[in-house]
Amino acid sequence: MADKLLMTEADSKQYIVVKIGNEQYGIDISYIDNIVRMQKITRVPKAQNYFKGIINLRGEVVPVMTIRVRMGLEMEEFTNDTRIIILKMEEHGKLGVIVDQVKEVVTLTPNEIDPYIPDTRDEKSAFIKGIGKHSDQLISLLELNSIIDDKEVI
Amino acid sequence: MDVSQYLEIFIDETSEHIQSLNDCIMNLEQEPDNKDTINEIFRAAHSLKGMAGTMGFKRMQHLTHDMENVFSEVRNDKVKVNGEMIDVLFQCLDAIEGYLETIKSTSDEGTEENEAIITKLNEILNNAGGAAAPAPAKEEAHEEKAPESAAPSNFEEKFLDAEFNDADKQAVKAKEAEGLKVYGVTVYIDQKCLLKSARAFLVFKAIEEIGTIIYYNPSSQDIEDEKFDFDFNLFVATDRSLDEILNAAKNVLEIETAVGREISSSDLDNEAGVDMSKEDSAGDIKNVPQVKTQQATSGGKAPANKQAVTSRTVRVDIEKLDTLMNQVSELIIAKNSLVSISSAEGAGGQSQSFTEQIEYLERITTMLHESVMKARMVPIESVVNKFPRMIRDLSKTLNKKMELVMTGEETELDRTVVDQIGDPLQHLLRNSADHGLEPDDVRIKRGKPETGKIFLNAYQEGNNVVIEVGDDGNGIDTQQVKQKAIERGLVTADQADTLSQKEIIDFLFMPGFSMAKKVSDISGRGVGLDVVKSNIEALGGDVEVKSTLGEGSKFIVRLPLTLAIIQALMVEIEDEKYAIALGSIQNIEDIPASDVKYVQAKEVITLRGSVIPLIRLDKMLDVERKDPEAEENKTNLTVVIVKKGDNFAGLVVDRLMGQQEIVIKSLGKYINNNKMISGATILGDGEVALILDANTLI
Repeated sequence: MADKLLMTEADSKQYIVVKIGNEQYGIDISYIDNIVRMQKITRVPKAQNYFKGIINLRGEVVPVMTIRVRMGLEMEEFTNDTRIIILKMEEHGKLGVIVDQVKEVVTLTPNEIDPYIPDTRDEKSAFIKGIGKHSDQLISLLELNSIIDDKEVI
Repeated sequence: MDVSQYLEIFIDETSEHIQSLNDCIMNLEQEPDNKDTINEIFRAAHSLKGMAGTMGFKRMQHLTHDMENVFSEVRNDKVKVNGEMIDVLFQCLDAIEGYLETIKSTSDEGTEENEAIITKLNEILNNAGGAAAPAPAKEEAHEEKAPESAAPSNFEEKFLDAEFNDADKQAVKAKEAEGLKVYGVTVYIDQKCLLKSARAFLVFKAIEEIGTIIYYNPSSQDIEDEKFDFDFNLFVATDRSLDEILNAAKNVLEIETAVGREISSSDLDNEAGVDMSKEDSAGDIKNVPQVKTQQATSGGKAPANKQAVTSRTVRVDIEKLDTLMNQVSELIIAKNSLVSISSAEGAGGQSQSFTEQIEYLERITTMLHESVMKARMVPIESVVNKFPRMIRDLSKTLNKKMELVMTGEETELDRTVVDQIGDPLQHLLRNSADHGLEPDDVRIKRGKPETGKIFLNAYQEGNNVVIEVGDDGNGIDTQQVKQKAIERGLVTADQADTLSQKEIIDFLFMPGFSMAKKVSDISGRGVGLDVVKSNIEALGGDVEVKSTLGEGSKFIVRLPLTLAIIQALMVEIEDEKYAIALGSIQNIEDIPASDVKYVQAKEVITLRGSVIPLIRLDKMLDVERKDPEAEENKTNLTVVIVKKGDNFAGLVVDRLMGQQEIVIKSLGKYINNNKMISGATILGDGEVALILDANTLI
């Protein structure tokens, strides 16, 4: 489905807009496998602090990251809007990311995206690859590859 | 001729022949006059040559031809077996193996001519008697074929020759009752054909597309094993015409012809069979004994044949087995959730038959899992049988006398594990040969037998397979290792003094740590033991070392029997659930908190005379306690005693939840964990529990 929609306008990409803290972030839809409601997460001892644990996704064990901790925000409180976005990264398999709310799907053309120059002193700014503008809203587009930093993948 | 479809069979059979040649030549080296061995070698070499020829691998054929010539001279007592010749023969085998490898990867034999080896082979021949050499070889070949060429040139219908048992008759009757025609067919394979069973198999396949084969003579098992001459018989039940069946058979390559006619169940009376063979005897006297013996064997085997048809072996792609295994895993998870629902509903809500069915389902899934697991098991023989040859070569290059003693080659392991233990084991054996064993003169001085002994013992221990590799050499000099570790700055001299024997030996498993004084072809590059360790750990196993200076060392490799599904004990700590593999659990104890003693500030318990260190899992796993005080004041501890080799440890848990069959799932690559957790599993209620690796806790 996603692929078909992508073809409609050349070079434009679809993003799922999610809320993390007070900001809006966009995740490239082609990486998204699934969006599930919050469920019981099993803690994994001694894992990185931003890994909440693992969940059972229809018989598959998927690690879940709390992106707020990864970005230096305080741990989230889970509400009815909390969702786990299951990303499918090619080499490393599936990964869940907890977001506060899933808002909508937007299509952004390249002119609607402003490049974002990451601040080299701030590791966390490398998580953003651009700023999307969509009907007066600003959407920070997530650079998924730096969120799962290769250095930390064993 | 398009031979690509036989490539797989060719590769399999060639590797079998190479292995048997390897074994035989090793034997020959020990007993140069053993006629049986020489004949065996000759046969294998001859088949190799023939197969290479059929497949059109000219270079390989050339090499094997020359090798066969040498064997033929040996067989005719024209050449004496000597060390030099054995060496050349081994080189020759390696070259053939090289061809095979190339064929495996490119479907072509490559361009390596191996001139040098051919020259050497010919030198051996020339020394024996010059130009006369090749001729006898050909004669041999003819001789071997002679009885076969006496086979009938007119193709009779032999399918009624054999005796039939009731089951066969019954089968024919049943098909007749269904309104199908039953044809008896005799298929003749070209006498030059070398992969007879492959042709036969293709014939079966072709015929089964248009009919059902209800009877084989010889049995399908014998046909698969090539235990037949150049013809075989079938009964086919079909609604097609006889010609269609015969043409299907004839269309297969290298099938000389196929003859047949419609038969009825009354034809199967034994008298008819005898009559037929009598007629035959009038026509072709020479052929009778052959037919008779065939009758006798197939007649005798008849009752078993009925089963043989269903138990035919098939080659299955390992991927298909993996898929099957995954599906069984899913089934077990589904079964577990059914079980947990049924127990959650309580005894009142459901009928007894429901519970019975659930229990029945549990049994079936367990059996299904075992069967699938067994289907994936192969003996480690396929890996270890190349080692005697390797040790022999090492013995030559290192100039040390040594012998390899292996036991338990029949021990079975999961296919994926077997595929990957070859390299680690090879490393360990090389280590033993190079570092372990002392030079011959040192051994004599020390009063040891001159010939060093290297051993490889495999056996099953609970849910693990243990493979021990060791030698009776010098053992590990921990002083030297310590020195080396200090030199390399891994520890300070002071620290080194406090290290235990085991900790010192662990240095050997560090990347880049080599004890060899000089780098050789065999070892000493320091890329040995760390790779061994990581390879084995990747398979879910571990390595342990036992060594006594002056007496030898032993590497103990422990591997899990299966990778996917295990029996585990479920335990709870606060509200977190963990699984501990049943295989590593020794027993479970309920211990009064007052029995806990301290040794070097560490908690221990004494149990039946032995001191066992206590591991508080809640602390180890950073479990948050809701009520730490209550925890402190507990009067009794539930302790799960786990063992690893000869070491024990007691794991303190809150509650035991019972035994369960669990499916091991990987945690994926994102999460770093400290190896305490070997994976996760999904419980009946859908919750995820972690699997504790007891081995790393000890």
